[in-house]
Amino acid sequence: MLFNFREKLNSSKFLVTAEVSPPKGTRFSAPLEDARQLKGIADALNVTDNQCSIMHMSSLAFSKLLLDEGHEPIMQLTCRDRNRIGLQSDLLGAYALGIRNICLMTGDFPSCGDHPGSKPVYDLDSVQFLQLVRKLDSGIDFAGNRLDGGTSFCAGAVSGIDPEKTIQLIKLEKKVRCGADFIQTQAVYDVGMFEEFMEATSHLEVPVIAGLIPLKSLGMAEFMNKNISGINVPEEIMLRIKDAPDPVEEGLSIASETIKELIKLSRGVHIMPVGSHKNTPKLLSLAGLSGK
Amino acid sequence: MIITSAKPLEEILALLKDEDYIFVIGCNVCAAKLKTGGEPEVLEMCRRLEENGKHVVGWALPTAACSVRSFDALVQKNEKIREARCILVMGCGSGISTVASVTEVPVLGSNDTLSLGGSSEGKLLSDQCVMCGKCTIGEFGGLCPKAQCPKSLLNGPCGGSIDGMCEVNRENDCVWTLIYNRLNKINRLDLLYTVHAPQEHGIK
Repeated sequence: MLFNFREKLNSSKFLVTAEVSPPKGTRFSAPLEDARQLKGIADALNVTDNQCSIMHMSSLAFSKLLLDEGHEPIMQLTCRDRNRIGLQSDLLGAYALGIRNICLMTGDFPSCGDHPGSKPVYDLDSVQFLQLVRKLDSGIDFAGNRLDGGTSFCAGAVSGIDPEKTIQLIKLEKKVRCGADFIQTQAVYDVGMFEEFMEATSHLEVPVIAGLIPLKSLGMAEFMNKNISGINVPEEIMLRIKDAPDPVEEGLSIASETIKELIKLSRGVHIMPVGSHKNTPKLLSLAGLSGK
Repeated sequence: MIITSAKPLEEILALLKDEDYIFVIGCNVCAAKLKTGGEPEVLEMCRRLEENGKHVVGWALPTAACSVRSFDALVQKNEKIREARCILVMGCGSGISTVASVTEVPVLGSNDTLSLGGSSEGKLLSDQCVMCGKCTIGEFGGLCPKAQCPKSLLNGPCGGSIDGMCEVNRENDCVWTLIYNRLNKINRLDLLYTVHAPQEHGIK
């Protein structure tokens, strides 16, 4: 019997993680209701940290609310808003509250969000942030002071999937060297490209969970191709969405086919729908993954 | 070179709203090169201030506003400064501060100070250095990510660049692409595998 995300990561089980967002405000019943649909079908839920630099409730607080509801959260933390003191302090607090999984990333620049004038911190980068977590795990803080109770985090990081971007692959390698337990990737549409990425990084021996954003419209696909780094929706998929009588259904169908391919290539999938998880149970069912 | 840009005249007039009998000080180094505080700009500023009803008691153009030795040195340039009830410095923040440290009247600046940069091959180069006090630029092939990456990332790029352009400003090159190309050119891609510790921000 597998209990938690870390144990599942070390097993041969194909993993399903899904992204949920804290509310913009103090009312949390609606996002908790949305997350409830993922009970029993997702192994863990990534909780975003002020995604796109748009101010929301903290990922720490919402992770705790999810934990209390019986979910297993993966608290995301970015380097954007806190210096090394703030990051460590939040990590100690999260661990004390029962949060065991984290996913660390640089974070979008403040200018892309709703508080564009706020000070960008980036005291650490994502590689240094992983080193920091491993220090807390060993019972000392980043400055070398002994902690009265350390942490034991299952810590992940993120990566793009373009095998041609050597410099991104080198950074990924550094993340793994600095202790990343798992990697969650940018959304995959081009399975061939993902396969090449997996080949290029096979020496790293780190569990890779492939990102997935179900398409909803042609406009969405075009927007992502143009504006989101590392996303490449192939022409063939664009045509399928364009010709479909119901693009949302077609998007789910495409995503489920992608998942079936990814089962052979990755350790899991990470579902990041735009909007709610209304269609996620159906997607996983289409992909044959609804039976836990 | 310190990169400055001239504030709009309306903003300068608003700063000078309650001031009169103004003495204007330019800077014959960086600001002169950037045309934000050389002799032609100083003369133009004097003219426009008078056009807007201000009395300009005089002007001076020290070699560098940031290296003014003393009040007497300014008097030697133009003794009219003794009549000044306000000084407008057309230099960078450092020049304004230096002038303020040797004078007894309100000191205001006509420029915004943007970065430590340079110019080469007819192009203005902004944000070349952040004066962090602990230079490691050689490890990045001579291009500083602390200065040129908006996130100051030391271990490689964020995931945001598209076609080699920066996520934060799509008109700028991602410095990590430039660093990669440069290290490739000098056959030092091995440097990219170094795990760099964070910048220490203690007292310099």
